[in-house]
Amino acid sequence: MMRAHYLFYSFTIALLFAACGGGDQPVTQELNVPALDSADIIRSERTRSIFYNIPSPMETAGLLKSAGAVYDRDILNDVKNVDNYTAASKQALNLGIYGADLSYASVYNNTQESMLYTSCAQKLAKKLDVTNAFNQAVVDRLEKNRNSRDSLLNIISETYWQVDAYLKENGRDNISALMVAGGWVEGLYIATQVAKQHNTPELRQRIAEQRIPLDDLVGLVKTYGPDDPAIASALKDLERLQALFANVVTPSGNSTITQEDGVALIGGTAPPASLSDEQLSAITEATFAIRSSYIN
Amino acid sequence: MKLLHTFLGALLIAALPSVAHAQCRSFAKNKCMPAMAPYKFNETFNAAQLAPGEDAQVDLTFYSGQEYRLLVCAHPILGHVNWQLADGAGNVLFNSTPDAPKDSFDFKVATTQKLSVLISVPKGDQGGTNMLTVGCVAILLGYK
Repeated sequence: MMRAHYLFYSFTIALLFAACGGGDQPVTQELNVPALDSADIIRSERTRSIFYNIPSPMETAGLLKSAGAVYDRDILNDVKNVDNYTAASKQALNLGIYGADLSYASVYNNTQESMLYTSCAQKLAKKLDVTNAFNQAVVDRLEKNRNSRDSLLNIISETYWQVDAYLKENGRDNISALMVAGGWVEGLYIATQVAKQHNTPELRQRIAEQRIPLDDLVGLVKTYGPDDPAIASALKDLERLQALFANVVTPSGNSTITQEDGVALIGGTAPPASLSDEQLSAITEATFAIRSSYIN
Repeated sequence: MKLLHTFLGALLIAALPSVAHAQCRSFAKNKCMPAMAPYKFNETFNAAQLAPGEDAQVDLTFYSGQEYRLLVCAHPILGHVNWQLADGAGNVLFNSTPDAPKDSFDFKVATTQKLSVLISVPKGDQGGTNMLTVGCVAILLGYK
């Protein structure tokens, strides 16, 4: 009987270590990590889990390119800044920022810069102890596929997904939320900076549409409560932007469904989102200030 | 000895969610992701351990000019999982039911909008046992 107990516990502990990725070192960070709750697994009542899905930096970069935005390397975060980020919150925000810069450079096929931003993102991933998801093997794969844009984009997307999943499965959802927030802010920053030179209706529409994921992002960050100073600060920044987007009209309400070229088309009667010059100017200014506070 | 058992038991219970999440990531990557091709998948990890009788909701932004594939991938232990896509007014645009089960839905949107995916794990027959069935449900979004 006693031997059976030992065998059971030995097996359990071995399983736990295997699931946690083996030799990773515990991270030292300033953020409050929500306690793991076995109630996540053992439930007796009906529950509804609500998830917020923010468009990825890669999708945003692709939308900017489709909208006619040009590539401007000068607006991206300087790779030299990477060693300045010592707090976990800054590392998480800038992992999102460098991830967005990496997506932007890769979508525009700037391989050399993609490799530099990969290196920055990997450094921050290491500091945040997510090397289980983003390690040297990933960098080697990226290097090996540097001349194949599609492969490069797929590896970057898969890596970002793995990092997000790894953080969430280790109860570090708040780090994940900061990374997502940093990536989204960088995407908006790139779009608004590019719009200064190429102020096209398509690009303005894409900026206006950011009201929708911004509402979701605020919802996501709010789930972590005000006790975490980094989360509270990011929430304040996002709510500042939310106030500027408040009067932007975005399509909502009843949708119809038809077929177009063999694909289901979900339509609506509402016109596309749009921005006034004043709204765009205010959003550009606020985004610049918030992003500056993240990278400096 | 009793203390040791208590400690190890507590460790097991505390770490269960992490193990379950790790299994969920592995399940989503190995069993669900391949079905996303040729779409590029969104990089957010949306997956949860759900039990019979539980619901989940994912709010998603869809942009005009792109084609999307929405995939709801549930571990076979849960059986068929009902899911639907609804607009902001609650109109159901797509429905996967036991009579007409579908894992994925390919579509595009005329105007950029937020839609919600509502997932419901039916209450199954527990067969008179006290075993709690919990399985991973992953929601993957791809675009092209």
